Order: sequence, then C-alpha cells, then structure tokens
Amino acid sequence: MSSGAPDPTNREAGGPPGALLEVETLGVEYPGGVRAVDGVSLALRAGGALVLLGESGSGKTTVARTVLGLPGRGAVVTGAVRLAGTDLRALDERALSDVRGRRIGYVPQDPSSSLDPLRRIGPQLAEVLRRHGVADGRRAARAAVPGLLATAGVPDPERVARAYPHELSGGLRQRAAIALAICCGPELLIADEPTTALDALVRGRILDLFTTLRADCGIALLLVTHDLAVARRIGGTVAVMRAGRVVELGPAERVLGDPDHSFTAALVAAEPGARR
Amino acid sequence: MTPTRWTGRNLGLVVPGALAVLLVLLALAAPLVAPYDPAAGRLADRLLDPGSPGHPLGTDGQGRDLLSRLVWAGRASLTGGLVPVTVATVAGTLLGIAAGLGGRLTEQALLRTLDVLYAFPGVLLAIAVASLLTPGLGATVLALSVVLTPAVARVAFTETRRIRSSEYLEAARVSGAGWGALVLRQVVPVVAPVVLVYASSLVGLAVVYAAGLSFLGLGVAPPTAEWGAMLDELRPSLLTHPWVAVLPALVILAVSVVFNTLGEALRTRIGDAAAHLPRATPAAARRAAKQVTR
Amino acid sequence: MTRFLLRRLLLAVPTLLGVTVVVFATVALVPGDPVAAFLGPGAPPGARQELTERLGLDQPLPVRYADWLGHALTGDLGTSISGQRPVADLLFPALGQTLTLTAAAFLLVLAGGVALGALGALRPRGPGGRISGALSTLAVSAPQYSVALLLIAVFAVGLRWLPAGGTHDVFGSGGPADLARHLVLPAVAAALVPLGLTARVFRASLGTVLAGELADSLRARGLRPAAVLRHCVHNASPALLTIGGLQLAYLLEGVVFVETLFAWPGIGRLLYDALTARDLPLVQGGVLVVAVAFVGVNLLVDAAHAAIDPRVRA
Repeated sequence: MSSGAPDPTNREAGGPPGALLEVETLGVEYPGGVRAVDGVSLALRAGGALVLLGESGSGKTTVARTVLGLPGRGAVVTGAVRLAGTDLRALDERALSDVRGRRIGYVPQDPSSSLDPLRRIGPQLAEVLRRHGVADGRRAARAAVPGLLATAGVPDPERVARAYPHELSGGLRQRAAIALAICCGPELLIADEPTTALDALVRGRILDLFTTLRADCGIALLLVTHDLAVARRIGGTVAVMRAGRVVELGPAERVLGDPDHSFTAALVAAEPGARR
Repeated sequence: MTPTRWTGRNLGLVVPGALAVLLVLLALAAPLVAPYDPAAGRLADRLLDPGSPGHPLGTDGQGRDLLSRLVWAGRASLTGGLVPVTVATVAGTLLGIAAGLGGRLTEQALLRTLDVLYAFPGVLLAIAVASLLTPGLGATVLALSVVLTPAVARVAFTETRRIRSSEYLEAARVSGAGWGALVLRQVVPVVAPVVLVYASSLVGLAVVYAAGLSFLGLGVAPPTAEWGAMLDELRPSLLTHPWVAVLPALVILAVSVVFNTLGEALRTRIGDAAAHLPRATPAAARRAAKQVTR
Repeated sequence: MTRFLLRRLLLAVPTLLGVTVVVFATVALVPGDPVAAFLGPGAPPGARQELTERLGLDQPLPVRYADWLGHALTGDLGTSISGQRPVADLLFPALGQTLTLTAAAFLLVLAGGVALGALGALRPRGPGGRISGALSTLAVSAPQYSVALLLIAVFAVGLRWLPAGGTHDVFGSGGPADLARHLVLPAVAAALVPLGLTARVFRASLGTVLAGELADSLRARGLRPAAVLRHCVHNASPALLTIGGLQLAYLLEGVVFVETLFAWPGIGRLLYDALTARDLPLVQGGVLVVAVAFVGVNLLVDAAHAAIDPRVRA
C-alpha cells in the first residue's frame, strides 16, 4: 500500500475547474505554533458531496469553519478559499456576512448551543430571511417559516415555529438548525458532525434529508464526520484527514472499500463489525 | 523546582498580599509606630488640616493627632473584620459539614433557615443583632459572626454534599471507619480549601461592615479609636473641614480595596466551584452567585 | 409562566413567616424593661401591673407573637414611642422616599454596570479590559459611607456643584429638576458596590457568550456584527437577573448609611433615628417592612428572570 500524496489537481473529487468550492493549500495555525490545518486542497462541484473524514483533532472541523471565515480566535490562515470563483479570503467581514447564510449554509454540531435559547424557532428563522432579503417585511418572513421547516422534514411546523429550542427533541432541533441553514437557498451546505449528538434512529433520517436536499435543490454538501458509516451513507467523495493533512482522497466506495493509505485502512479495519 | 516568575498574575497576588500583611503589622505595631498618644489631645490644636507641622494628617475635633489615631484604630477595625471571619469560618464549616452529612431533615432545616436569613439584607441583620447588645467591639464581632456564618455554612454544605455522593466516603464507611475519623480525613481536606478561599474574600467586607456598625453607634464607641467611629466623630466637621473628615473614609476604602483584591486574586488562582452563569433555579443560582460575590 | 409565579409565591410564604419570627424575636429579646422606661421612677405601684397587662407583656411569647402578627397584617404596626404616631404613618411615606432613591441608584447600577462590563468583555486583554477590571474592583470595595462622605466633601463642599443633603432646596422651586440634583450624590454613593458587582458578572457572562458556539452560529447565519452583539447581550443578561437579588441587598444595605449621611427622609434614616432613640415598635416595624419589601422585590426579579429565560420556567 502506498501512502500517496494527495492529487493536487483533484480531478477525482471536483471534476473540471470552475468547481463550486475550491480550497487551495489551506493552512491554519493557532497561537503556540499549533498547525491545525497543513496544506489542504479540496474541490467540490455544484450539487456534489464531499465528506471530510477523520478523528478528533484531525483538523476537519477547522477546515469547514475556515471556509466560512470563522476559524477561531488568533488563527493565522494561509492559502485560498474560492466559492464559484470568488476569493472568500479577500472579503472583509461585512461582505463575508453577506455570503454566510445566503450562499453558504452552516449546520453546527450541537443544535442545543447553536440555537438561541431565549427566542422561539420561528423568529430566528424569520430574522435570517429578512437579513438576506429573501422575504420582505415581518409578515412575509413569518409566513414563509412553516414551509421552510417542512422542507427540513419537520412535522407540525406551526407548533415547532412557536416553540423554544429546549422544548424540542434533539432530532427536531437539528432539523430546525438545518432549516436555518438552507432557508435562503444556499449553493453550499456545510454540516459539522450533524448527527453526532443524535440517537441512532434519528441519525439515518437526517442523513437522508441531506441526500434529498441535494437531489431536490441541487445544494452541494460538505460534511464533516468521524463516523465511517456516515461517510458511506452520504457517498460522493471522501477526503480522509489526519494531523491537519489530507492523506487520501477519492470516491467513497473506493476509499472505504479498498483504501490506498495505511491510515485509511486502519480506520476501516477499526470500524465495529469490519471484516478482517 | 522551577523558579516563580514575576508575571502579572503572580504580582496580582503578591502585591495585595504584601499590603495586607503590612496593614496587619502596622496595626499590631501601633505603640511603636504612632508618633502621639491617640487619646491625648490639645484643644488648642483642634481640627488642623493635613500637612500641618507636627501633624502630617491633621488633628480631630479634640486635638488628637489623626495619624496616630488612624494607626491605633487599625487594631479595633481589623479585629472587627478578621475575628468574625475566623469565627464564621469555623462555625460555618462545622454547621455546613454537619448538615451535609446529616439526613434529609437536617438539610431542610439548614436550607430553610438560610433562606430566612438571606431574606434580610446583610447590614440590616447586623444592625438587628448589634442593637441587642451593649455597644463595643464584642457587639461588632458577635453581630458580624452571625451575619457571615450562614454564607460559609452554605459553601461548606455544598462541598460536603458533593463528596458525599462520591465513592470514597462509601468505601470508608463500609470499611468500618467511625464518623469522627471519616470527617477529619475525608471531608475536611476537601471542604477546607474551598471554604478558606471563600472566607478570604469576606475579610474586606467584614472590615467595612465593622466600621459601618461603629459609625452607626452600634459597634465600637468613642473614645476608642476605630475607623468607623472616627468617621462618625468627624462628621459634624464635614462641611467646615472636609479634608480631615474624609481621612478615615479613605483609609477604609483603601483597606477594603487591598483585601478585596487579595481575595479576588486568591479566588482566580485556586478557582472555585460555583459558576458565574445562570443555573436552572433562580433561587439556587442566586445562592451560588452569593457565594461567589458576597 | 403563571404556574411558575404561583409556585414561587407559595414558596415565599414560609420564608416570610420566618422573617416575621426573626423580627419579633429580635425586638422581644432586647434587654431592658420597657415598662419601667415608659413609666419612669415614682409611678404608683398599681400602674406597673396595669401597664403590663395593657401592653400584653404578661402573655407568653407565642401569644404575643400571634397578636403582633395579626395586627401587622391589618396594617397596625403599633405606635412609635418617639414620634407618638402610628408606626405605619411614619413608615409608608419614608418607604416612598427610599424607593425613589433606590430606583435612581438601580438605574445607575444597570446602565453603569452593563457599560463597564461590556467594555471589559469586548476587548478583555486590551486597555478596556484592564480599566473595566480595576474600576469594578474599586467600585465593589467602596463602602457606601466612605463614598458618601467623599462625594459630599468633593462635590458639595469643595466644588459646590451639588447639594449636601435633603430632597429639595428649602427655598427652591421644587419640582423634578431640583429632586434630580438632590438625588445625584446619594444615588451614586448607594450604587457603587452593586455597580461593580454587575460589571464583573456581566463581563464574565458576555465574554463567555461572545466566545461560545452561539455567537459563531449567529455569524454563520450571516447576521451583521451589530445583530450578533445584540443577541449575545440578550443571552448574557439572565446572569444579571440571577444576581439581581444580591444587588438589591447591597442597594438596601447602602441605603441606611446613605440616607443618614445625606439626610434623605427614607426608611434607612428612620431606622437609624429609631435605633438611637431606642424606639422599639418603630425599629420592629421598619425592619419588618424592609425585609418584606426585599422578599417581594426578589420575587419580581425571579419573575423577570423567568420572562427573559424560558428555560427557567420549566
């Protein structure tokens, strides 16, 4: 088995240039000399799916958040991040805030801490709709909320819109968070360990929701996870990360079924129920 | 051993600590340090402004040297602050541990009593108790001990409860250890540091309360030198000789800042259990916040 | 929400009862013979017996307590010895004055504390953070009587900008502007300690929220920095209400000293005078009213907390 360097042109993952998301030799360093991300390059075409797979500390979450422009306090970022040709790193905070939520949606890991606990779900959604000009005025925004929740697979959307986050189950909270992320029709959806905090039963349904959203709305998906089963289910392209670097990159079935890199092989072998 | 560095954090602890020790030493060494007899005054020299020859801080309404009086007053004022904190620490720890290890009834009895005591603003309670007693240092000490003990008891109780549910205690009990040995070896070493850090933050407050009680005529009374009492004595001269009248006020303020800064530094260094942020029950959170900030 | 309030009200009842017991016991235990003090020397022998019976002092303590409590609930708090009037008549106007002063001080606490705390939270390692920390500690350590005297010395005597006491100028026109002038110094003196406390707590709370998941999530939605800050402040505010009761305690404590020093005709000064004159019914009534008011306002604080933070209602 070879421990090949990642393919710099990323033909396998993103296809032809003009991909939706291009990350080029991204590096993120924190105070104290910690290199969380080291020379990572990725590409994702419109409507495609890319899974960042790795253990905790591998830098996968940092990559996802740096794409959004939220790498964390004291981070020093090098390299390029382009969304449909626009250099995101060149944008100032104001311009970036126009992109976030509108062109890139973000589903954080723990909906309990990402939803504002002091406000009901409905107003939180309505606020984002008005901010990005998708709805004009309060009434229109409020009217659009139940439909958006329904798209995220929420049963009884009127009740959920009136509820506070702590009154909802984990699965419903995550669906609300997803609704928040897609409500303005983004081209790219970044999901950071979206199912880690959920029960096994609910997990599958949320993953299916992502697949449905890709199929129906053409949203590209960048999903961060440590769970191989999740990677398998999403399919698409998998980038295996370790210690801040991409060690293997390719279609899901190939990478997980017949890994090139020793690390990937170890991951696959360590999976519960793996055939030896 | 790694040498301790003169970092900002360390300085933040050493400077107030040194100042506090200095204050106590000054008070103890009053007979040696004070230039004049604090009780002796010449009426001809009354109400001299600070900076007058022979009296660097001026004189009071009876011609007594203020510098000497302020230094001597440190004894009464600091005693009025430190002794109640010590008493409250011991009494509160005993009560808190007893309630923490006791049954449901003792716990409820303690908590309800604490609720009632917390229903009074602190000074009000001190006034209520002090007014029952003859004015003097003893009244101050007793009144403040009563006011401060519940707070310490609360802290000790919470810590004891925390260990009680741990397995150390269970194991020791099962192995036949008696209650006495159990408390000494298992409970006290865990509870003591938390209580001590909390108590150290009470010293500043206690000194302020003690002076306050004397100011109201309920604590130490003239002619004994005490910062609060001096404040009361000099009050009539406030409109005519303001710079003399505010001196005790400045001293109390300075002492309070020193002890409070020390308490804060100790607290951030050692860290404490009670959180700053809201918890589910407002009452529980209130109590927790009181521990941190009172 | 209503269920939460009802529950809290119910829980307050035993506390209030305990308060009445403590107040009654405190005064009943005062050494000295009130009857002898009242009658003075040279009173006829039967007068003592008659007075004792009339004042009900020969009854056992629990009976006296029940009697006193019964009267108190109907608004009869006895007669003031020094004022020769019903205690209630003296107390309630004074309560109004105290509430005015407390309200003014509270506004200062809120505005000043939030501003100072926010300053420290937004740039914790910068000069703003250091100033915020130093000022907070200074404020918390500032005993109200010290500050009051310092303020009088500097602003009233030294600079002559503001009056040294009272609620209105004796020969002035009265009215809100005059009241405001007289409110400034006492309100500042009473507000400093709770202000420092508020600043500390708000700084910690806002700092935590700004560095936390919620802030990043809000930014990820594309909300502008002003909106993000607004929501963070909103989320940091329950912490303030948690210590709201504590701040109130410090405010009321300060009030006794501040009113005495500024000759503000509130309950604090009334209590001080009553203590000096050993006017027990007045002391008893005053302490009771303050304690009950304190419990009441704490309930309001809890209600406000539940209104802002829905998780508390559960």
